[in-house]
Amino acid sequence: MNNSILGLGFILTAGLVSAKVIKKLSFPAVTAYLLLGILIGPSILNLVPKDILNSSGMISNVVLGIIAFGIGQNFSRFHLRRIGKTVIWISVLEACGALILVTAAFYFLLHQPFYISLIFGSIASATAPAATVMVIREYRARGNFTDTLLGVVAIDDAWCLIIFAVSLAISQAIYAHAVEASFIIRVFLNALLSIAGSFILGAFMAIFLSIIYRFVRTQAELLILTLGLIFLNIGIAIWLNLSVLLASMFLGAMLVNLNRYSFKFFDSLKMIDSPLFLLFFVLAGANLEIGILNNLSLIGLTYLIFRVAGKILGVNLGAKASGAASSVRKYLGFALVPQAGVALGCALIAKSDFPEAGNMIFTTIVATTVIYELVGPLCTKYALRKAEDIIIH
Amino acid sequence: MQVREVMSKEVIAVRRSMKLGELLGIFKDFHIFPLVPVVEDDSRLIGVVSFRNILDVFQSSHPDVLKLVPFLDEEEQNIFKMDISEDIGDLVVVQDIMDQEYIYIREDTSLEEVYKLMDVHLKEELPVVDRLGRLVGRVGIFDIIKFLFNQKGVMN
Repeated sequence: MNNSILGLGFILTAGLVSAKVIKKLSFPAVTAYLLLGILIGPSILNLVPKDILNSSGMISNVVLGIIAFGIGQNFSRFHLRRIGKTVIWISVLEACGALILVTAAFYFLLHQPFYISLIFGSIASATAPAATVMVIREYRARGNFTDTLLGVVAIDDAWCLIIFAVSLAISQAIYAHAVEASFIIRVFLNALLSIAGSFILGAFMAIFLSIIYRFVRTQAELLILTLGLIFLNIGIAIWLNLSVLLASMFLGAMLVNLNRYSFKFFDSLKMIDSPLFLLFFVLAGANLEIGILNNLSLIGLTYLIFRVAGKILGVNLGAKASGAASSVRKYLGFALVPQAGVALGCALIAKSDFPEAGNMIFTTIVATTVIYELVGPLCTKYALRKAEDIIIH
Repeated sequence: MQVREVMSKEVIAVRRSMKLGELLGIFKDFHIFPLVPVVEDDSRLIGVVSFRNILDVFQSSHPDVLKLVPFLDEEEQNIFKMDISEDIGDLVVVQDIMDQEYIYIREDTSLEEVYKLMDVHLKEELPVVDRLGRLVGRVGIFDIIKFLFNQKGVMN
């Protein structure tokens, strides 16, 4: 099909219908979008127009920029004060646990190059709050366990973005300078430059946004301004070879601390983000290359097992360090199994940055995401029931 | 013209510990549920409750944390089919449902600025505070319209 507008209309409508259907089975909309994407992608029905497929990179950058901007809200003084030490300890250690175990497993067991192992490890630190929250809502779970779980999944993606951005900078440097002797210094300089540059860019844009906000007169102008500045920020980050994710997150984080009414900027995006997110997930599914899946079973299995093991181990250590309840220590790791948007976005970035290994990384993450999103809600339900925050008769 | 000159000084404010049942009781004879400021003992404004927050009672939980969660499906609510128990009026307090992020204005803000804020953020009324953040009144769009019409001699 080469009619892009027809394709867009079809994706949006079919996405909505499939989400409604899958909701009846208690799975989040994300799962429906991904499966739809795989079904209509080039590997099976081939219904997605080439122009749209080719713009996957742009759409994922835009969506990730918007997501990272929203995640920046986690760093408001107001929120940071309210996050307890249990949530901080557990979220940091479960993210690092998955990073370390997956990286080590890929490097030592599968003998993958270090830069690829590190990319897989950093993507493993993400979780998918949407699936977890859906289970919490469905069973109307309440209690300390649920509160801690929500706190952890809300901030986890912030740690993931930081971990991924740093890992990406390191991996890029290793990839580019692998044969040079002075490469360790270059690796760190590169990573440092990327982080510092993204921070300065995000901060500068937040100040700029706050200044222009004074001239805004209507809600529509507020949306245009917010979107315009997010795009400018992403564009400049790409142009200067900085991290799109970090620059967007810093923009959100600075704004939330600079502007008294910053929450209105974030709220204004809610009017337009849903169709973009739908498109992002369908395209992620459509980009899956079913042909290479066969060769990836060992890699996929290693990723599936070691990511969950890292999360469970990290939760255990974090709960011990913060003196959390034993139910949190024992079961919270199981509730962190789902993986979706942030992991897919990171994988898409890796795909475009590493032409040789990119397809393997991306296809593995899409395939494992489908599995995690199908199994994850069951694991979350198990954890909530064991922690006695829900009672299922 | 500053907002202190047109605002209403009589505002029904509540404490964070007030139970939902009591809160609804205060407004049961009103035509609409107004924007209700939540204050500390020293009158410091710490939040607001609107009818939207009351609808949150029908939601499963934690609207504040969920604002930070990306890709979240919106919860479909059918308030007619919700299983709400009688004791919810005693179990839920204002603190549980109030908005802690809200728009407010200082009493020395100009009327033009207030009207602009209402327009940009789609609000029809706002709480007014003094320099120390203590609640001193409320201003609605109608207060501004009344002022303008009065100035033009339209009102009898």
